[in-house]
Amino acid sequence: MCTSSPFTNPVFTNPLLTKPLARITAGLCLLLLSATAAAQTWQHEQGRVSLDEPPQRIVALNWAATEALLLLGVTPVGVADKSGYATWVREPVLPDHVPNIGTRVAPSLEAIAELEPDLIITSSEMAPAADLLQQIAPTYVSSVYKKGSQPFAKARQMLITLGEMLDREDRAREILADIDTTLADQRRRLEAHGAHKRPVALVSFLDDRHVRIFAPNGLYQTTLDGLGLDNVWPHDGNYWGFSTVGLEAIAPYPDGRIVVIEPTQPGLSDNLAQSPFWTYLPAVQRSQVYQIEPVWPFGAVFPVKRLAIQLTDALIQGGSDNVR
Amino acid sequence: MYVESQVATTAPRLPGKLPLTAILLWLGALAASAAPWLPELDLLSVVSAFWSYDGSDYSSVLAHFSWAPRVSIALLIGCGLGLAGAVTQQVLGNPLASPTTLGVEAGGQFGVTLATLFAPALLAFSQDLVAVAGGLLAIGMVVALTWRLGFSPVTVILAGLVITFFMGALNMAFLLIKGEWLGNLFIWGAGSLVQNSWQPFMDLWPRVLILGAALVLLMRPLQLLQLGQASASSLGARVGLLRMLALFLVVLMSATVVSRVGVVAFVGLAAPVLARLLGARTLQERLFWSTLLGGGLLLLADTLAHWASSWGDGSLVPTGTTMALIGGPIILLALQGFKNTHHMPGQESNPGAFLPKRRSVLVTGAVLLCLLLVTFFVSMGWSPGLQDWSWTPITDWGEAWVWRGPRLLAAILAGVCLGLAGSLIQRMTGNVMASPELLGISGGAALVMVLIVLTGTEIGRAGQLGAATLGAAAALGLLILLARRHRFAGNQLLLGGLALYVFMDSGLRLVMASGGTVAAKLLNWMYGATWLISETEALSLLGLTLVICLGLFVAIRPLTLLALGDTSASSLGLPVTRARLGLLVLAAILTAAATVVIGPLSFVGLIAPHLARVLGQQTVGRQMIISALAGGLLLALADYLSRIVIFPSQLPAGLLAALVGGIYFLWGLSRHGRA
Repeated sequence: MCTSSPFTNPVFTNPLLTKPLARITAGLCLLLLSATAAAQTWQHEQGRVSLDEPPQRIVALNWAATEALLLLGVTPVGVADKSGYATWVREPVLPDHVPNIGTRVAPSLEAIAELEPDLIITSSEMAPAADLLQQIAPTYVSSVYKKGSQPFAKARQMLITLGEMLDREDRAREILADIDTTLADQRRRLEAHGAHKRPVALVSFLDDRHVRIFAPNGLYQTTLDGLGLDNVWPHDGNYWGFSTVGLEAIAPYPDGRIVVIEPTQPGLSDNLAQSPFWTYLPAVQRSQVYQIEPVWPFGAVFPVKRLAIQLTDALIQGGSDNVR
Repeated sequence: MYVESQVATTAPRLPGKLPLTAILLWLGALAASAAPWLPELDLLSVVSAFWSYDGSDYSSVLAHFSWAPRVSIALLIGCGLGLAGAVTQQVLGNPLASPTTLGVEAGGQFGVTLATLFAPALLAFSQDLVAVAGGLLAIGMVVALTWRLGFSPVTVILAGLVITFFMGALNMAFLLIKGEWLGNLFIWGAGSLVQNSWQPFMDLWPRVLILGAALVLLMRPLQLLQLGQASASSLGARVGLLRMLALFLVVLMSATVVSRVGVVAFVGLAAPVLARLLGARTLQERLFWSTLLGGGLLLLADTLAHWASSWGDGSLVPTGTTMALIGGPIILLALQGFKNTHHMPGQESNPGAFLPKRRSVLVTGAVLLCLLLVTFFVSMGWSPGLQDWSWTPITDWGEAWVWRGPRLLAAILAGVCLGLAGSLIQRMTGNVMASPELLGISGGAALVMVLIVLTGTEIGRAGQLGAATLGAAAALGLLILLARRHRFAGNQLLLGGLALYVFMDSGLRLVMASGGTVAAKLLNWMYGATWLISETEALSLLGLTLVICLGLFVAIRPLTLLALGDTSASSLGLPVTRARLGLLVLAAILTAAATVVIGPLSFVGLIAPHLARVLGQQTVGRQMIISALAGGLLLALADYLSRIVIFPSQLPAGLLAALVGGIYFLWGLSRHGRA
């Protein structure tokens, strides 16, 4: 535009000089503009991940991430330990056609790469592999379970971040609000039935002598807090939020009710019935043994809701003097 | 077979410390076990908890149905296993034999794991049956392999150890693939004596009593064995049959115990060893005191386990762990006590008898290198996809390198390191059966790593390598210190390796019992999860290996000279102590570098040098080159297979190597027997 004017600075009159400069400047501006507009960056446990647009093909390397994606209405293109998910987690349902990419402790990088994902979600358990995964696709590291973490807070944060990445923030907030409402509703139900008074011991049987007892630092504590129930077990467990204990470890807490989370082994109830140790347990004597369907204790936010409903139903329905 | 015990038979005199120790052990353990009850119950009710309870007082119910059966079962099992261990030692004339070291417990565990996964109905029908079958399988393999060698003591232990590793590896393969379903097997594998009724004790005591009585009845004929096989035969005892019968009873005893309470290893080894250390000489004395000490030791271990769990956050500490912690030092203590009258199998074969045709190192090396390259090409190119097998075009290799390259490179380098370390150690000890795995050097490295996992410290790869090197060097140094007098021969070396393995095992059991996922992660590492290795790590390992190889060039002369004996070596101008120290450090670094990648149990350090000899390489330098190539080839194959066999799941590469290596070793052992 200024090339024809004789009064302008000679430097700018030369088209050979102005054109590339202008192009570069314009290009840079565009780049900056598009970068601020489209590409977003999220900080995670082992660095940061930048995405230009919401990812379409996501691979989830643990069940907490799988669950979070399904909750947001996104079906991952590959998950780890698919058959186990159907047995142990159950809800939200994972469609049958999603391919398996190996075990959760040792997924196959090969299979992940073949799926050509545009986002991989993993946890710090896989820390040494994060570099390799990063070379396959942008990798988001979020560990609901690690030393010193608070599972529910962490899972909430993961859900919201994933919501942002996938442009489904509203959905994420709805889910969280729904969980809070559910907890409040179930708490009112419990109180209405007067079933909230005694503390509970949440256990799952490993065999007829050993149980996993769920500790105050675990995900389930969120449900108990939300329902206004006390946990009988006072000690923190491992970072997964449980301790493996002999069955006799619940004996020192005579006030507690016992909630057994399935699956239980065949023949367990017969073995327990024959053991006066069990039949004399105060909770058993009071017929305060409750049994609920499998709930995955190492998931993200959803198990909190699932457990809250099942636990409330079971406590209101009334217990028995043995497992089924 | 026991020179010292024959002498003692003529002048029997029991040292006072033996009964004293046994009484102290029992009383101390009982008191410690009862102590936590005293605030709640008076002394009389604690004692009477063994036969009665007061239904209105839950403490009393708990003491009667939880504590008393636990104490009783610990004593019962301890006594049974102590007796079984002493009988095994007598039958095989072997101060290291025990149900644990013969692989019986690992076999029983294997049987129960298989049944849990594939035939739960069988398990429901009879848990004993599958455990006994597994135990018989294990001991049958040991016996069959060592038959021709006349049960040469150290060979028996070697075979037993390898079968333990082998069955352990198979077990782990199943646990890793099906971990979530086998939570109870993790606890059971760790050995927990927790009880909540008298039922298990009531089931168990008649069996243990009958088996024990049968073993004691065999005592008289067994005593004849003490005079040596030839004289026993002339006295009319049918030696072979007796031995088989006794071993069969031992298997029944251990498998019955294993199937009911889980794997409580090392009681059967520690009790007789302790009895001998304290001066039990005659057979009767040894059987009697081993039985008593076994009961006391196990009760002590169980009490410690109980205390440890109540001091901590209440989570279970398995008795298998504390037993191993008590058993390890006893075995180490015993190291100095045994007279070294036995040979390791490798020792006896004088080089003249075991000299395959010499082959050119160039041709052999070239063939191995070609094979390695072929493996490399196939591994990089031919892979199972989610749909179908396909070749990756060479133009795409740059991309595929990310997920196929670093692990393959690291596996090859780990193989090279182990091949070199194996050759070094064999040359240093002058024994073709010595290897980083069997002598516990890898175990030392692994022990440190397990401790790091247990304490939850994050130290990164370089830190791991440093820590593992320290562990390996400490183990190797300890072994050399212990075995120096014995010129690296015989039991001391093996025993040391065994004791280290015991410690490592105890750590593993603790982690296993504490939770499935943590355990699966650790097990993946223990058995060599090559897939976690990044490009930088693989490249730095390459650098390290190259540097060490340069160092080895300098080591060839000292190695050749050391084989001539210390005196000749120093007269030829070699600073023996310094040379030994240098070699020790090199071997430790090599072992540690490999252990960080492939885990402690791959057997490559044993096989590769052996292969090199079979391929006709005898001088130090040549053996090292070929052994390094063979090791690299083995682990390259293992890594490829680990990636593809159960795609998209994967097995740890070290696990596959251990399976192949175990078979090779057993085959070599039986061949050795024939020669």
